[in-house]
Amino acid sequence: MISSRWTPYLFLAPALAGLLVFKLVPIAVAVGGSLTGMSLMGDLRFAGLENFEYLFTDPEFWSSLKITLLFNLIINPLQLAVAFALALLVFQPMPGLWFFRTLLVLPMAVSTGISAVLFGLFLDGNLGPLNGFLEWIGIGAQPFHRSQEQALATLIGIATWKGAGYWMLFLLAGLYSIPASVHEAARIDGASAWQRFRYVTLPMMRKPMAFVLVADTAINFLFFAPVYILTSGGPSGATSVLMFQAYRAAFTFSDIGRSLAISTILLAILVVIVVLEFRLLRAPEEERS
Amino acid sequence: MTASPHALMLRYGLLSVLAFIVVCPLAWLALASLRPQAEIFQPISEFGWNTFIPSVLTLDNYRTLWEGDFPLAVKNSTIVALTTVVFGVTVNALAGFAFAAFDFRGKNLLFLLVIASFMMPFEAIVLPLYVMIRAFGWTNSYQALIVPEIANGMVIFLFRQFFASIPRDFYEAARVDGASWLYIFVRIAAPLSWPTVATSSLMLFLAQWDSFFWPIVAASAPDYAVIQVAIARNINFEQNDWGGLFASTNLAILLGTIPFLLMQRFYVRSLISSGIK
Repeated sequence: MISSRWTPYLFLAPALAGLLVFKLVPIAVAVGGSLTGMSLMGDLRFAGLENFEYLFTDPEFWSSLKITLLFNLIINPLQLAVAFALALLVFQPMPGLWFFRTLLVLPMAVSTGISAVLFGLFLDGNLGPLNGFLEWIGIGAQPFHRSQEQALATLIGIATWKGAGYWMLFLLAGLYSIPASVHEAARIDGASAWQRFRYVTLPMMRKPMAFVLVADTAINFLFFAPVYILTSGGPSGATSVLMFQAYRAAFTFSDIGRSLAISTILLAILVVIVVLEFRLLRAPEEERS
Repeated sequence: MTASPHALMLRYGLLSVLAFIVVCPLAWLALASLRPQAEIFQPISEFGWNTFIPSVLTLDNYRTLWEGDFPLAVKNSTIVALTTVVFGVTVNALAGFAFAAFDFRGKNLLFLLVIASFMMPFEAIVLPLYVMIRAFGWTNSYQALIVPEIANGMVIFLFRQFFASIPRDFYEAARVDGASWLYIFVRIAAPLSWPTVATSSLMLFLAQWDSFFWPIVAASAPDYAVIQVAIARNINFEQNDWGGLFASTNLAILLGTIPFLLMQRFYVRSLISSGIK
């Protein structure tokens, strides 16, 4: 038998090897690249923290950071709440449930880029059926992603349309892993439906919720394709998230160092936020560790 | 839950409204894919039944797809996605189990690296990744599409969350009986994790089904075109083939939903076997 001391490392080895080669080494290279710049002759040179210094004195960076944080402050709690509500709605058995579940998860098979193209047409000012409908009922056509006021909200709506059903599945799996006997016991003790939800379901959903919140946060901080396809960061910078700035630095201005510096900042922000999210959803008994 | 008739009606009502909102854009897409090219778009001034219901139904858009290289793209995506699922679930479940069941040196640091592995913008790592794949001689191959996607930090994290919800005593008891850790994983822990296996399979499948950027970079040869690459071909600088775009997108959605339909029953099964605490 294998000695217990080495067992965890053997279990980890295949996955960690894959992550190391295909994720962590490229990440290290990218972070290293954020410390480089181009000389006037076009050669790669070591630039130290220059890229970061430029960014920190650039008002466009700060406004982009603000938009990124605002976007995430709204979208992550929103998606978690909607996904949880959906999971509760499709949890208890009832006739035809599979049909509703299937309809709700359909958008997850739409790739992010295609969802942007689809909504670009669906919300179009001249040809989009939604604006046709809004005109018809008398509300009048809306500009959606083409106006400064509605652009960010439109992107949040599209992302939630695609994401809610997907995250619902993870929470649904969590609901199923709560033993029925726990609910039974609470009911016998006279707990109301709300009390059972608040004191039985919610605490036992900590781990699935932590997963959804952390994974969703990572995905939404890196949200990019719809910004590129629908708004190009506009109008007037209203949707210019950091991912878009990173893209523009690399592909419009050919400033790879600056682009990688923005990506590195995104990674750093994400690690900090995710550690905070873990603390937020930690069970009381785990608080010592 | 003792469902009163009112509560049940409310549930049906809410679900119908939500499902309608979700399905509306997709239904419009599906119906538009059945229209002749000329009448795909209706000006909003003419809003009415015609906005949704085609006056002429035609399968022309699908026929064109069938005769083109779309079937090859479906085949490629299926091969890539299923292979990733099989290896990915195994490898990531083992790692998730290790993080949940053991205490070992460097555990917190390794876990942080696992989490950080999915927090870097892909655009930032695509260049070093491509250089590596080329050095391996993998460009334009299935390996290039599959191997980098097998180890997945998010899936490790998902399994870790599940295995950590099983009390340690449960594993320790089997240890006392002389079972090896591999035996405990294969015969005790893994069978309990069916719902997690189902959801993580779906995650890995959809990640491949939806992927576009990496396939374009690593395997641009027509022989290895995956489904999203085939879809994107309908949009180009010369002329947009909306009929082809709608029909191929619609097929990608319907085919991509099949794994979900297959795994639905695992949710039920876990309910029946809820004797484990």
